[in-house]
Amino acid sequence: MDPLVYVLDLVVFIGIFSIVSLSLNLEFGFAGLANFGKVAFVLVGAYTYAILSQIGIPFYLCLIAGASISAIVGFLVSLPTLKLRADYLAIVFLTVGEILRLIVKSEDWIGGGVWGMTVSPAISLAGISARIDTLVNIGLVYFCLFICFLVVQLLTNSPYGRVIRAIREDEVAAEALGKDRAKYRGQMLALGSAIAGLGGGLYAQYLQFIDPYMFMPMLTFTVWIMVLLGGPANNWGALLGAGLVMLFDRGANVAKDYVTLAIDPSNLQYIMFGALIILVLLYRPQGLLRESQVKTKAMEIVRRGRDAVKNK
Amino acid sequence: MAVNWAQVLFNSAVTGSLYLIGAVGLTLTYGLSNFPNFAHAEFITLGAFVGYLVAETLGLGLVPALVVAFLFGGIVGILCYRGIFQPLAKRGATIIHLMVASIALGFILRYSIGALWGWSPLYFSTAWPSFDVGPLRVTALWLWLIFAAVSLALIMHFVLVKTKIGRAIRATSSNPELALASGINIDRVILITWFIGAGLAATAGIFRSAGTQIWPMTGWDIILPIFAVVILGGIGNFYGSIAAAFIIGLAENLGVVALMALGLSTEYRIAIAFLILIITLIVRPQGLAMLFRRA
Repeated sequence: MDPLVYVLDLVVFIGIFSIVSLSLNLEFGFAGLANFGKVAFVLVGAYTYAILSQIGIPFYLCLIAGASISAIVGFLVSLPTLKLRADYLAIVFLTVGEILRLIVKSEDWIGGGVWGMTVSPAISLAGISARIDTLVNIGLVYFCLFICFLVVQLLTNSPYGRVIRAIREDEVAAEALGKDRAKYRGQMLALGSAIAGLGGGLYAQYLQFIDPYMFMPMLTFTVWIMVLLGGPANNWGALLGAGLVMLFDRGANVAKDYVTLAIDPSNLQYIMFGALIILVLLYRPQGLLRESQVKTKAMEIVRRGRDAVKNK
Repeated sequence: MAVNWAQVLFNSAVTGSLYLIGAVGLTLTYGLSNFPNFAHAEFITLGAFVGYLVAETLGLGLVPALVVAFLFGGIVGILCYRGIFQPLAKRGATIIHLMVASIALGFILRYSIGALWGWSPLYFSTAWPSFDVGPLRVTALWLWLIFAAVSLALIMHFVLVKTKIGRAIRATSSNPELALASGINIDRVILITWFIGAGLAATAGIFRSAGTQIWPMTGWDIILPIFAVVILGGIGNFYGSIAAAFIIGLAENLGVVALMALGLSTEYRIAIAFLILIITLIVRPQGLAMLFRRA
């Protein structure tokens, strides 16, 4: 393969996974929700895109539809668990990921079952080289990433974002201040799922093929590594994490062809991912980039007052 | 289509027995350490492979395989708790961190097993011929499995009610501070529970795979119904999980009959456990607990 295309391909993947990683960061980092079924919403976005684009709907509508349906599914799934402890939500979302994959695997009429289905690319121009084609994809993916980043960054630094963080820190205190935790959590999961669904649509149109085996629980876990490594509740961290993990993932794929190891490298890679996550949790649970301090006028006054007392 | 209802009931007992043996450890460690250990699936898988090693590679038969798998699984359970979960909890990890760590541990174990034994399915060479008892078609393995589950229920009941360690487990599970203040060595109680729990999961792995195939996803294939059993039974509640295991076993087997009648894939059987899980969370999130004596 053309080495430049290889690099560009990596850039596209980093972009797509950054979008999914931002969505998990919103749910886990800011809202403290353990979504162990991220893959389910990527799957919904991907299959919605694939099916709608087949009947000739323009790509941007397919992407929006994928995100919307994903948001609805995310909201519905969250309903039974919103008032319960974090572990119930985790178990339910994990199960939903498995069941959705089971459905697309067993029902041939949805997306060809185990044989998968081909997906038409979002933008196809006649007679262009692989390089230009990948560049076009980079443009599309990074445009979507930019929008998602803007939305997430503005939202999490708004008064709304502070409520979300407050619920994460102490749900009883937040409830005492009249913040309905179930409502906020439902909204977060809907928005997070919408972003993940958008990522799924982009993924499907870039690879131009989807099958159920692309949506294994491993994908969810990879996104978790990105968020935990980069720094939960820090959107730049989510991007950094996505970049590092994809580089490692791709690097391992290249190294596979040149290095002979005693252990099959595809097994070794996941063993190393697992070990990495445990080490991060043990030694740097805040990730590489810390959560940034909340900056409001009130906080500023409190800080100045504290300094004044200290300096006396 | 005529349905052999006696057979459906018997199959439910077989499924329920497997889920019970698989779920006891999960529910006890969940209740005691306050997080769901997703690597429990890999304890099941590990037990299946250790059992395969003893029964097939070394050719020692099923009973030694069960014993060795129980001990080995138990030791791995203790090592995992001591090496990963306890240090994390000491550093103030949240429940989400512990869950993620358990998934990470699961991946380490699963892919290590994949590296050691490979990903293509293996089969136990012992054949389990089926024979007819009245209207029932049974195999010796299924009878063994039901016998094991019933003995487990009786032994666990005796241990939890009559013995010192059993009382200590119940006390620690319901109120750790009070248990500590009463002079119970909590650390030892937790270690023993992880040993028993992981060991039982390992034996469940052998029962699961002896009749079918064995591969690195063996445990993951049944972990979702096992979680449904734990939640329906009430987290940490042994008696609840006995009832829940057989309810879910029955629901799955009735569901398979229904799925076949509707012409749907029988792979959807895990969706049945999921439906029960969702209904439990909506109607009665504490599960069947309190209907039974807490244990």
